[in-house]
Amino acid sequence: MKTKFWVALATTTALAMPALAQDAIRIGVLTPLSGTYAGIGQQVRWGLELAAQEINTSGGILGRPVTLIYEDSQANPAVAMQRAERLFDVENVDFLTGTVSSGVTLAVGELAERSGRLMATTVSFADSITGARCSPNVFRVNARAGQQSVALASWLAAERPDARVFYLGPDYEMGRSTVAAFRSNAEGVGATSVGETFAPLDSADYSQYFGALRSARPDVLYTSVAGNDTVRLFTQLEDFGVRANLTVLGASGTVTSQNIAAIGAAAEGFVTGVGYSTLIDTPEHTAFLESFRAASGGADPDLYGADSYGVLFAYQAAAQMAGTTDTDALREAFRGLTWNTPQGVKTIRAGDHQAMQQMYVVRVEGGEFRIVGNVSAADAIGDDLCERF
Amino acid sequence: MLDRLDISLRANHVLFVILFTAAFVFGVMASMTGDRFYLRLATEALILSGLALSIDILLGFTGLLSLGQALFFGVGAYVSALVLREVPSFWLALGAASGASLVAGVVGGLIANRVRGVYFALITFGMAQIVAKIIYNTRSLGASDGLIGIPVVEIPLGFVTLSAGNPLEFFLVVLGGITLIYAGMSYVLSSPFGRVMIALKANEKRVPYLGYSTWAPRMVAYVLAAVIAGTVGGLYPMLRGFVSPELMFFSASGDALIMVIIGGSGTLVGAIWGAILLVAFKSVVGSWTEHHLIIVGLMFMAAVLFMKRGLIGLVKPMIERRLVRIEAAREMRKEGKAP
Repeated sequence: MKTKFWVALATTTALAMPALAQDAIRIGVLTPLSGTYAGIGQQVRWGLELAAQEINTSGGILGRPVTLIYEDSQANPAVAMQRAERLFDVENVDFLTGTVSSGVTLAVGELAERSGRLMATTVSFADSITGARCSPNVFRVNARAGQQSVALASWLAAERPDARVFYLGPDYEMGRSTVAAFRSNAEGVGATSVGETFAPLDSADYSQYFGALRSARPDVLYTSVAGNDTVRLFTQLEDFGVRANLTVLGASGTVTSQNIAAIGAAAEGFVTGVGYSTLIDTPEHTAFLESFRAASGGADPDLYGADSYGVLFAYQAAAQMAGTTDTDALREAFRGLTWNTPQGVKTIRAGDHQAMQQMYVVRVEGGEFRIVGNVSAADAIGDDLCERF
Repeated sequence: MLDRLDISLRANHVLFVILFTAAFVFGVMASMTGDRFYLRLATEALILSGLALSIDILLGFTGLLSLGQALFFGVGAYVSALVLREVPSFWLALGAASGASLVAGVVGGLIANRVRGVYFALITFGMAQIVAKIIYNTRSLGASDGLIGIPVVEIPLGFVTLSAGNPLEFFLVVLGGITLIYAGMSYVLSSPFGRVMIALKANEKRVPYLGYSTWAPRMVAYVLAAVIAGTVGGLYPMLRGFVSPELMFFSASGDALIMVIIGGSGTLVGAIWGAILLVAFKSVVGSWTEHHLIIVGLMFMAAVLFMKRGLIGLVKPMIERRLVRIEAAREMRKEGKAP
């Protein structure tokens, strides 16, 4: 019975696909719609849907409308691989995007290569995706960890020269690599590292690290904890009086619109480097902000929403330049592609498929992010470490 | 004369033959229609059915609830992935995966078998979490990103060489593997030693009075289950081309447990049916709505409440009755012929 059903299903989809593919450009969206990262997936979804709607009302891509096909990656690479295979083989998508965790992006990138399709991430930070483990079929349109660190380090050099920096990261791969990346950038601009420590994810009590922190006498604290960990760390820093005379810096994901309210006054003065801020003051961005709020029911876009919005326009620009959606022609068009986004002009570097973009340094003032500096795309990008192409 | 265990095992064989035939027909038909995705999904289901089957050996026959069986699946998968990245040899990778899970099973068994009941469940759970966490934080094993770059392997079977990259060929290899595991376990269970294992589930306190050690059969069952989980785990990177620490997380162990319960524990074949059903169900519902976890949860609750012996329990008694009748008729004929 079940066998019959599967075969019937496989046959009907196989028959239906070529006809559909002629009409719409099919974009697969593999993103976490459930679980820990569902909030990020929601931003990805809002951004892509808004962009698809705008592209479709203005005539589509190469005269064809865009269709988004969602699959829930559950932020689990084992599930994501299976879902990605479905998007490539059954749904026959032309392009894949939306992957969040770096592990998923790397694994799906390899599958994209085997399937002869292109993909782009709009969220994953890990430098290796467009570095040591780069793939000819994978692009990244958001800023990687290195770009964020460069932006933040340049602010540090200008505002707190000769800083004594203490690092506190979450004890897992992402935490260790963000600390290592920022540490080398900070030391590059003349800062002194006075100590580092790693706390387990979901720590309830950070006060045990405050002794080491105080005795190292830093004037800058860098942290890459995220979510509720940030809430606990920041409020405890405040409660224990460790926060006085200390400038707190962090990763893009440390303080976001999701947890800033819960941190409250303890977030005041926090500085980070990001590729997007809702305070960008350009007519394009103002228009984007308005239509995003209308589409999301009032929620502001964050970096994930903005970068996901931009990726479809990159695809549109590349497809129109190539005149086709054929993988090889499209890849060539993507290399060195320059296109407009609400964040400003972005360019994909041909050497490693990493988008170059203006980076912003933002600071929390009065419970809101304020832009306090920016770093040009060329200064933030860093070396091309990709050796495969 | 056949006793109840023989009848029960024979009924399992009937259900396995049905499954094997259906899988074979499905494989050939899917391959003829040029389908890749459903063939590879079915291959994944069969690989996971090996993990479910290993849980059934513990839960359904020996009476041990393991909440961390994915540990051995993950050990097999990682060892196989590491070997394949260096030497792309099917048999070497599979052998290394089995060997590593044997060692892991002995070590894990020595720890877990010191206790019973709920403590056993907690220790198996804890061991899997600890190892998963260590891998999650070990950069040389790919840490939280997992390992990619696993090549497609050739599978030399002596008379013919198949490729793991061909969906139908790999599906048939995995189907063959599961058949061997099923046949092997059925043989072990029908042996006198297997009956001691089953006695442990029925009444562990009485087993020593019959002159048997309880520790040895429990340990052997645990190690056997570990080796089976590790061996099928070794097949996983050949299918998907990557491994990640999530393979060892509780969600993997929990899913496999759900497969056993839905299919029907204590039947071996139920675990395989349950795995195929759950994987297919999750794939279809997962594409349809993001609230798929709620639906799987409700299905699990329904299975526990309304089908105490799982899906297999719905048809197995029927098959057993028929087998008893056939057997009785045969006995009658024999007696009639030899007066």
